Amino acid sequence: MARIKNEKPNENVTQGGENAIQNKEIEGLSQGQIVRRRFVRHKAAMTSVFVLLFLIIAVFTSLEMKLGPFRWRGWWQFKYDELLELRTEGCPEGIVGCPTLDAVPSFIDGTPMGLGRHPFGQDDIGRDYFAMVMRGAQRSIYVMVVIGFLAAAIGTVVGAISGYFRGWVDAVLMRFTDFIITIPSIIIGSVVGYHFGNLGVGFLAFYLGLFAWTGLSRLVRGEFLKLRELEFVDAARVAGASNRRIIFKHILPNAVGVIIVSVTLLMSGAILLETALSYLGFGVVAPDVSLGSLISQYQDSFTTRPWLFWYPGIFIITIALSINFIGDGLRDAFDPRQRRRLTKKDKERARAQAKIAAQND
Amino acid sequence: MFAYIARRLGVLFVILFGSSYILYNLAAISGDPLEALRTSREPNAAQQIITLTRELNLDVPPPLRYFIWLRGILGIFVGSPDFGEARTGQQVSEMIALAIPTTLRLVAGATVIAIVLGISIGIITALRQYSRFDYAMTFVAFLLFSLPIFWVAVLLKEFLAIQFNNFLSNPTISPPWLIGLSLFSGIFWAAILSGDRKRVLVVFSGVTIANAALLQVLSVTQWFADPGFGPIILFLLSIGVAFLVTHLSTGINNQAALRSSIAMAVLTLVLYYPNQWLFEVDAKKVVFPLMVLTLFVVAATVPLLFSRIDRGPIIRTSILSAFIMGLLTVVDKLMQTWRPYMETDAVYYRPVPTFGQTNALLEPGNFWMTFLDLLVHLFLPTTALLLISFAGYVRFSRGTLLEVLNQDYIRTARAKGLTERTVIMRHAFRNTMIPLTTIMVVDFAGIIGGAIITERIFGWFGMGTLFNQAINSLDLNLLMGVFFITAFLAVTANLVADLLYSALDPRIRAVSRSK
Amino acid sequence: MKVTRKVRFAIAATAAAGLVAGLVGPAQAAPKTTVSIVQSNALTGLNPSVTNMNLTFNVDVAYLSGIGFNYYNNKATLIDNTVLGTYKVVSQKPFKVQYKVNPGRVWSDGTPINGVDLLLSHITSTAQYSVIAGLGDPGDSDVTPVFDSLGYGGIYDEHIVGLPQLSADKMSVTYEFDAAIPDWRLVAPGVAPVHTLVLMAEGKTKLQSVAANNAARDKFLKYFNTYNKKALGAIGKLWSTAYTINKVDSSTNPLLLVGNGPFMVKTAVPNGAVTMVRNPRYNSGPKVKSLKTVVFKVIGDGTAAAQALKNGEVDVYAGQPTADAVALLKSMAPAVKVIGGDQAIYEHIDLRVGPAYGTQGSYNGPFAGMSQQAVDLRTAFLLAYPREEIMEKIIKPINSSAQLMNSLMVFPSEPSYKEIISKSGVSKFTAGTQAERTAKALALVKKYYPNAAAGSGSVKVKLLFGQPSNTRRVAQAALAKAELAKAGFDLDTTPTSGWSSFLSDSKFDAAFFAWVKSAAFQSGNVGTYETQANDYGYSNKTIDAIYKELGAKPLSAAEVTARFLKVDQELIKDAVTLPIFQHPAANGVSAKLQGVNPSPFSPNLVWNVWDWYFTDK
Repeated sequence: MARIKNEKPNENVTQGGENAIQNKEIEGLSQGQIVRRRFVRHKAAMTSVFVLLFLIIAVFTSLEMKLGPFRWRGWWQFKYDELLELRTEGCPEGIVGCPTLDAVPSFIDGTPMGLGRHPFGQDDIGRDYFAMVMRGAQRSIYVMVVIGFLAAAIGTVVGAISGYFRGWVDAVLMRFTDFIITIPSIIIGSVVGYHFGNLGVGFLAFYLGLFAWTGLSRLVRGEFLKLRELEFVDAARVAGASNRRIIFKHILPNAVGVIIVSVTLLMSGAILLETALSYLGFGVVAPDVSLGSLISQYQDSFTTRPWLFWYPGIFIITIALSINFIGDGLRDAFDPRQRRRLTKKDKERARAQAKIAAQND
Repeated sequence: MFAYIARRLGVLFVILFGSSYILYNLAAISGDPLEALRTSREPNAAQQIITLTRELNLDVPPPLRYFIWLRGILGIFVGSPDFGEARTGQQVSEMIALAIPTTLRLVAGATVIAIVLGISIGIITALRQYSRFDYAMTFVAFLLFSLPIFWVAVLLKEFLAIQFNNFLSNPTISPPWLIGLSLFSGIFWAAILSGDRKRVLVVFSGVTIANAALLQVLSVTQWFADPGFGPIILFLLSIGVAFLVTHLSTGINNQAALRSSIAMAVLTLVLYYPNQWLFEVDAKKVVFPLMVLTLFVVAATVPLLFSRIDRGPIIRTSILSAFIMGLLTVVDKLMQTWRPYMETDAVYYRPVPTFGQTNALLEPGNFWMTFLDLLVHLFLPTTALLLISFAGYVRFSRGTLLEVLNQDYIRTARAKGLTERTVIMRHAFRNTMIPLTTIMVVDFAGIIGGAIITERIFGWFGMGTLFNQAINSLDLNLLMGVFFITAFLAVTANLVADLLYSALDPRIRAVSRSK
Repeated sequence: MKVTRKVRFAIAATAAAGLVAGLVGPAQAAPKTTVSIVQSNALTGLNPSVTNMNLTFNVDVAYLSGIGFNYYNNKATLIDNTVLGTYKVVSQKPFKVQYKVNPGRVWSDGTPINGVDLLLSHITSTAQYSVIAGLGDPGDSDVTPVFDSLGYGGIYDEHIVGLPQLSADKMSVTYEFDAAIPDWRLVAPGVAPVHTLVLMAEGKTKLQSVAANNAARDKFLKYFNTYNKKALGAIGKLWSTAYTINKVDSSTNPLLLVGNGPFMVKTAVPNGAVTMVRNPRYNSGPKVKSLKTVVFKVIGDGTAAAQALKNGEVDVYAGQPTADAVALLKSMAPAVKVIGGDQAIYEHIDLRVGPAYGTQGSYNGPFAGMSQQAVDLRTAFLLAYPREEIMEKIIKPINSSAQLMNSLMVFPSEPSYKEIISKSGVSKFTAGTQAERTAKALALVKKYYPNAAAGSGSVKVKLLFGQPSNTRRVAQAALAKAELAKAGFDLDTTPTSGWSSFLSDSKFDAAFFAWVKSAAFQSGNVGTYETQANDYGYSNKTIDAIYKELGAKPLSAAEVTARFLKVDQELIKDAVTLPIFQHPAANGVSAKLQGVNPSPFSPNLVWNVWDWYFTDK
């Protein structure tokens, strides 16, 4: 490395040193270990993992839940569809059901911090808004996960097969994809809504997932078309690997970065898609709620009862942000050529090593 | 190749036929068109049901009714497709012909800016991976990506239209705003120009103070009430453009390129007053193309005076500079129009609108007034769409560029001793564009389908509105008309993307079938 | 970067040098004369009498560009437009009504209006005429009649005898009906500039001289009297299709825009704004105070419209009646005022007595039939239905002066309301507190379901309502479910999309929705409870008889009230339905705009545009 003569030797040394450090670090580790290590180092991604985990646990344990014979009581005192007395004390003139959450410590505003009875306030007819937001977050996360997984599975398989085999398989699958792209998913929603009534959020997520994979499949196909021409695939084929093995063991890991970025964007997009559908009246319908239906229902409250608008909004943003950052971290971790950013300490060490190397020359 | 395209087009029609048949039948059973009449207390409701049944052919079952629609559409082969009438009695083809330009105007600008801005930021973040700026932009991009558009729209309207108009009635910037804005731009620039702590501090304080001073001056002189550059500032800006463009295009060390760009700036100054006169000439249809033509001719010939060798890049630089300077001159003219525009009865000192495509009350005739009117109406919807759509481009271009930068040929290019500018602009950037191009093509087709919610919130009537209207009023002809156009474009765009992909990247052989 | 900063300094310096200076402040000279009104859907045509053009926006524009013999005011009273002309019953047997146009009234092209201009209205509302003239049978389910009119099959069509008779001076027209129709004032013929249709049929695209116009009108009279198929066919085709326009500019045929209203369309941008300017020759109706221009702007989204109002882009917005929308409008004070009020729409709860009239199948739900048990259970359901709570929580935030509606026949604002509710027996459902009523209800349920208790869910009731996206309805259902549970009912409150197609479906035991009243017919809402029109299987001979009576001949106000009272008494005795509230309205109006006073009937807001004016404060 140090043999390359250049006007800026210092920089080069550092670069060479970086490689050296990285190579050293991943010596003797399996691919999985390398990915895990890289991911753990991604601060934003790790923070997001914790935030999201905390959110999911908090949200799903907050309300009463029945799962077969099991019955979870829920740590929050109210149910999301329970009608309660509308609170007016402490609210501005003409406003009912204002939030009781006090996040300001007592030494600033004189009242102690605390949740109060209805931390997020109440809706027009007295339902506890905290419970509704929790319920909404459950539904939205559910929708997001189902759409994400369904789309990722279908999109990857279709894209991989058509990109790998090309020819008539590719033609058939891609024309099928075109076919799906042309059908607006809202129509399906309104037909089903009209004939079968409200089939619930599970069905909504399911059929949206069945329509959401097209972009991903094209992307994966493109990636496969590119990768299948590379030498390592030829090598694997020469070594006698089956098609299945080549697709899943050789090409897919190389395409996983693209897939993950796109799936995470898709998942955060799913929350927004559900929000948009609720706004247009085709999403999650009452009496069930989702973050999207809450925020679209209360968009008029923006100036008068802003909490009805902000709290679900904050949840949407937090979830979408976390997902995206996790995707970002995964992408970086999976990229085989990706270098991690070096700290000052690393650089100093590299310089020292480079010096030693130069002396040894 | 030709056979391939022909075959794809053939399949395309089969797909359109299949999906239109399915969609028609689905849509037909998605509700009851007579619904409103069933609850009507009108004395002649029965007669109205007969009328509607007759007009919509409701007595024909949907699987057959489809062919009534198809018969009209098939006229496309004899050059006169009949999309039928909407329930409002209008010709569907006319409605679509009106809606497409609206949608294009709404989303094309936003998409182009989103692509340019998104890719630029994506590239900067990739080059400064894991810097403060990278983190900040990633955060902002994801944040914007996570916002529902109707929410963004409400906020934009409140602050950029209503509050800004209030501000314009007395355009003095209050101290908190002044401090806030200055600090913000200070932090922004300091984050972009990362470096050691000292440099960051210098940049931060420099920008903050400069900004505060500038805003103070603008505030005291009530610049916002009557904005404009004037020849001097226009010249200074042009010099700046000359340096920047030369730097990006050929490198600042290319004296000839720099000189010809500066010559362009001088020309901009010299031509300032003649331009002002030309702008007021009535024959816009003749004058404008002429001006553009002159601009390119001059920009292409001037460099010849400065260099005898290697003229290509220099001409390119000079044309690019001249183009931007020309734009600046136009911007200046628009700014001069601002005050007269505000003073019209139609606008009445509240220039930024929250909805609509044009101001209906504005007297037509004045080109610049009309143009400005168009721009202020585009301002909010474009901003809203831009904010939520550019995140995707930032992420994709960042990811792709990072991947490209780690390729061996980049290392080779660097090892050859090419400058970093050349490596990035010529080797890395071009390869980054390949996957992005295909994404863009597909995005663009999707856009014609319309931004239902954006159109609704900003009172625009494009394809999205038509689609929504068709679904809500069970207007099958209208729905199928919109469907036909959007589906056709979506499928064609995929075809174009495929072709582009294999054309741009020689390694890919999507087209060949031999296996 | 360096460059940018230099430039910034340069801008600052240059600006400081005073290149730009000057104070700007809106210095208003006179009050505005242009009013901007929000519409939620685009203009699709100028002739709302054609079947597919009958949309709110089209009706509003047509109302301003053409004025007839009467219009509704803000009290839902029919006001005679005596400026245009007069009309009266000239003979009881046979029943004859004469319409007389005042001399000197002119169309916007200067042609005087006369009786011939009333005759087109006969063609477009009489199926018989269309058949005789060979213009198509409106009752035919295959062929569209040439005049594709909305008017066939109405009261006029049913009772008119022969052709209207034009007087010798052509200024009045007499109509003969086969019976004394009670709502004879509502069937007043519209005036239409028939000469423009004749001219357009002849291919003219420009306004003609008055003499030519008069000649064209005489031709029309001839065609009309001779059932001239060819000429009328051409005119009918124009009438049905030529007005389907959403774009008006200098290239539009000016003959399409001729009218006698206070304003005429000047420009219309497709899907965008419609600008109407004063008709300089207007003398057919009330004087216009000060407005010179009326602009309609299209905004579909409620919040967007409210924000446009706040930004001063529009002056009047018929708001969406939700609590938040009203609060949003109120928060814009003092620049905006909220004009509340009531719409001619009332929400009510219906209980199923049997299968819908004329449908097959049977209904065996808890409320079926007229047995004591069914009546008791229905009474219990209505007793426990939390009407007051719905009022307090859902309607009061929108209109603080709203009151519970207790009569199905008349609105609280009508003069006979007090008398009717004091005698109708509705006090059974209003006495005491809700808790007491619910307790009574539970007691009634216990008679038949001994195990009934609060929350026992003994009586299962499936409720029909919608749309699922209608949050107000969903909230009402939630309140009802909670209160009815205390009386032992188990209410299934899943909203139904496309609910109105299921009104006659026996699987629903109850439904709540709204009836819209579109005109002040003498029979009022009675028709809704008549056996043949009832989707809930209710049949009451007394009510049927009263309905017939009300439709047979004009009655005095006292006679009508007595019959309405009887109907209310019957409905309450049988416990089949209860009204809940009258739909509130919420209009945001710029504080500077005076005179806005919406009518409950179409064209709600703009009925008195001529009275609007701006103050400059």
